[in-house]
Amino acid sequence: MRRAGAILWLKPFVARPIALAGLGILLATLLAAAFARWLAPYDPYAIDPLIRLTPPNGAHWFGTDQFGRDTLSRVIHSARMALLIGSGVVAFALATGVPIGVFSALFPRLGHVLMRVVDVLMAFPALLLALGLIVVLGPSVANAILAIGVGYMTTTTRIVYGLTLRLRAETYVEASRSMGAGTLWLIGKHILPNLVSPLLVQASFVFAFAQLGAASLDFLGLGAPPEIPSWGNMLAESRTFITRAPWLLFFPGMMIVATAFSLNLVGDALRDRLDPRFRQVFGEKG
Amino acid sequence: MWTYALKRAGTTAVTLLAASVLIFAFIHIIPGDPIYVLLGDTATPDQIDALRHQLGLDQPIILQYLTWVGHVLEGDLGRSIFFQAPVLSVIADGAETSVLLATMTMIWVTIIGVPIGMVAAVRHGTWLDQGLSGAAMLMASVPTFWVGLYLILVFAAWLGWFPSSGYPSIFEGGIVNLRYLVLPSLTLAAPNAALILRLTRASMLDVSREDYVRTARAKGIRPWQVVRRHILRNALLTVVSAFGFTFAALLSEAVVTETVFALPGIGRLVVQSILRRDYPVIQGVILVIVVVYLLINLLVDLSYRLLDPRVELQ
Amino acid sequence: MRYGLSVLMRGAVGLATALFLNAHASATTMLREATIGEPPPLDVMLTTADVASVIGRHIFETLYALDSTYTPRPMLAESDREEDGGKTIVIKLREGVSFHNGKEMTAKDVVASMTRWGNYGARGKLLMSAATSVEATGKYEVTLKLSAPNGAWKNLIADVNGGLAIYPEDIATNAGNKPIEQKDYIGTGPYKFVEWRPNRYVEVEKFDGYKSVKEKGDGFAGARAAIFDKIRFIPVPDVGTRVSGVQAGDYDYAEMISGDLYESLSKDPSVQVQRTNAPIFGLFFMNSKQGILKDNYKLRRAIQTALDKSQALRVAFGSKDLWNAEGSIFPKGTPWYSTEGVSNYSAHDPKKAKELAKEADYTGTPIRLLVSTNYQAHYDEASVFTRQLADAGINVQMLVVDWATLLKMRGQPEQWDIFVTHHSFSPDPLLLTFLNASYPGWWDSPEIGALRADLIKSTDPIARKSTWDKIQSLIYEQVPVMKVGDAYTYDIASPKLKGLNPNGPAFWNVSTK
Repeated sequence: MRRAGAILWLKPFVARPIALAGLGILLATLLAAAFARWLAPYDPYAIDPLIRLTPPNGAHWFGTDQFGRDTLSRVIHSARMALLIGSGVVAFALATGVPIGVFSALFPRLGHVLMRVVDVLMAFPALLLALGLIVVLGPSVANAILAIGVGYMTTTTRIVYGLTLRLRAETYVEASRSMGAGTLWLIGKHILPNLVSPLLVQASFVFAFAQLGAASLDFLGLGAPPEIPSWGNMLAESRTFITRAPWLLFFPGMMIVATAFSLNLVGDALRDRLDPRFRQVFGEKG
Repeated sequence: MWTYALKRAGTTAVTLLAASVLIFAFIHIIPGDPIYVLLGDTATPDQIDALRHQLGLDQPIILQYLTWVGHVLEGDLGRSIFFQAPVLSVIADGAETSVLLATMTMIWVTIIGVPIGMVAAVRHGTWLDQGLSGAAMLMASVPTFWVGLYLILVFAAWLGWFPSSGYPSIFEGGIVNLRYLVLPSLTLAAPNAALILRLTRASMLDVSREDYVRTARAKGIRPWQVVRRHILRNALLTVVSAFGFTFAALLSEAVVTETVFALPGIGRLVVQSILRRDYPVIQGVILVIVVVYLLINLLVDLSYRLLDPRVELQ
Repeated sequence: MRYGLSVLMRGAVGLATALFLNAHASATTMLREATIGEPPPLDVMLTTADVASVIGRHIFETLYALDSTYTPRPMLAESDREEDGGKTIVIKLREGVSFHNGKEMTAKDVVASMTRWGNYGARGKLLMSAATSVEATGKYEVTLKLSAPNGAWKNLIADVNGGLAIYPEDIATNAGNKPIEQKDYIGTGPYKFVEWRPNRYVEVEKFDGYKSVKEKGDGFAGARAAIFDKIRFIPVPDVGTRVSGVQAGDYDYAEMISGDLYESLSKDPSVQVQRTNAPIFGLFFMNSKQGILKDNYKLRRAIQTALDKSQALRVAFGSKDLWNAEGSIFPKGTPWYSTEGVSNYSAHDPKKAKELAKEADYTGTPIRLLVSTNYQAHYDEASVFTRQLADAGINVQMLVVDWATLLKMRGQPEQWDIFVTHHSFSPDPLLLTFLNASYPGWWDSPEIGALRADLIKSTDPIARKSTWDKIQSLIYEQVPVMKVGDAYTYDIASPKLKGLNPNGPAFWNVSTK
């Protein structure tokens, strides 16, 4: 039974080779992040002003930046930040969105109030919300995760709310309820397991857009502290050099695109695997 | 219908009020202070206190909030500390650029996103569809400022076809000044066109699976007519609502693009005011953006109800 | 019918041609400068922001102005004399100078401006704290009485930056502490304020009633002729955009371009490069009021010893043409150039630094370095130094914030140990911020107190120079600040402009070839 399930999961990937490529890229990013210290040819923090701004060459495959730091090593190490921010945002969005969404759907009166609060938060454009939070809390990795996460918490909550409402209306759930089943048991046995697949899809999209959100914040100088290498920070630092050292902008940018793209591909493939009744809840915003 | 409309208007108003409190609270917990930025490096503590008192920034928070709300209801959004002009006129100035930019962007998005989305839906499952969907997903994964920087490099610096930055008003230089918005709007259009493309495709596919469409096909109506009469109209409902949200979002999400292209729009105004702690402007702009957002939300909801009575009301 | 039509046609063509020619004949000329950002209110007395001064210099004028050697020359003043050992200064004003509102400038306007500047001006206290009275002793004569002579008085009123710009009497009297309104931007300069469109531009236009001094234009001093009819100052915060803007012809002038582009832009025929004639210098201020560095001169010297300033300068400013690892606070060629203490400037000896730190009882506590992201050079310098100090076993923790937050935090001594800023060129030591005990850093040892007093009260240039030598030596011993090095910023302009001002962006006397 289990083996068949696993194969079923892989089917949409096999059917679309490009989705497989996406999975491959993600795996590579994961490996880069995990083994950065061994993979990177140089210390990403070591400065050497004498070789600053050299184009890609034998010693430095991706060239050097304005401090003389090796771009390749910095790109590799930035994968860790990308993963950290992505998973942080997803974790935050799920950890807040799921409980709020589920409880709001199961307890309509409480749900009414909570959804109103979510509505107020959704009245603010995501970037504005993130900006505001960062300025109040100060730039740091944790705050960046919080700031970006709040925007996705709202959409996740709405999705979970919608899904739980549908589930609640299912006959077997009604039946269980009439038999006197406790709420927590209900959640554990019927609701959560059915949320896993759609939430996996949501997670991939959130992970993808978190990269872009973080890059925007970094670009404005309000993201993670600039000392820590991240693709967004690398772009922010090098934008003055677009004519003088275009390689500084190219590689980090490509990495963001590759990561976000592959996550989107994976998310798409997974969504096709989803139960059709759930697909509608996603629309296209994810 | 009307009771529904009134109820929705009511909830919108309450949401707005809650949002206003949030806005006000937020800016007063930001560290930093406009006084320092105004007076610069060498201000003494006396000068700082005196100016703070003059600007009314030393009164209790609740009082400041109520004063602000009172003024807003009269249509007075206060005075910018840095621009020394009414907040409303500062916003109006920025609005011209942002609205034009958003409109141009939506035009590109429509011209590119909708037809291609339709093609992909109609040719569902083929290589063309996969290619187009893949391309769309790629466009949605690109950071806008990256696209913007390269567009400036190629089209402004190397080719000289378009200006690199700024936006002189069309009320001054004529309609030809819209060319300043070409590169920025293309930059913003890329990821949004991708989204609309996929939305069009997805909703067309969803609708085409519906019973009444299958019935129409079974009745022998020609495919193209089926598309035109049934699929398109219903699919467009979803797309139109997405337009609304995208437009509203563009007003402020354009902040990064406005920074790269030095456009005097609302997005840039927000960031700039936050960085300078120009409290009246921050409050005013965010409030205006939220109002626009909520209004569009309301209109879309109502028109949805009007156009498609089958839609379930939550 | 046909005949009538052809007459109409010819008439139309004729009219169009006439309009076209007319339009070109009376076309107003406009110069567009891309600035680094939106300025604060243009009340130049109150703010030291460079952007405000760049614009303000066209609108407002001072009693004296700095020429290309940074020597003050008469501008609104005609002559002056000192009496009573320097405690009384009598200034005679030029006659027939008009404000933009048509009224003539008289001693009453100067007195009102001086009073306001003394009370609220950013640099007002430097001169006016010792003022006992300032009066109009004639229609065109002002008398300033000081409790003690101030050898640098002329330098202190020779620029608009936080300085004594002359406003009309009623405006200066009613302004108080609050920045003046846009309608009150009334000065005596060659250009008058027209309008301010937020985030778009500030526009000034030629003032027809301008009365220029006779001497040839030299730096910010001398004759000023408004050749361009209008000037627009457009905020463009992104350096790359400023550069492509000038290359594409969207702007005529762009200020503060990053050093790394200097070499390629020098060879670019579509722009001309304008290097400033006076360098700025980066400064790392030590906290003398509170914290680990308070009174611990040994630890400060340890920090100083670890640093290689050239590395930081190279990263922050790029091309060697643009920076100079110069230990003297004042550059060579100025009367204040001094070699005292300079051997400690850039020792670059991490081993020795480690030893000194140990002697100073340093045990690895993080030293908080406050720096902002808005000024790229500050951040670059801080990053390089943090690395170098780590090599010497000194643990520095960077606190990276935006400029507005930095301005607030540095006023709170418990929040930082070192903060980074830069200083523009000063013609006189008294204008140096770190000699002012109330400026963040709060350097105020008995030694500097005594030397500062000497510097103020003496009027003999030789005596003052020798006092300055001692002060510089003290700076390297007590290390209240560390100078990074001299850096030249540069601007770029359209190759068609001529008459550009060596002191900085000032567009009178500028025309197209």
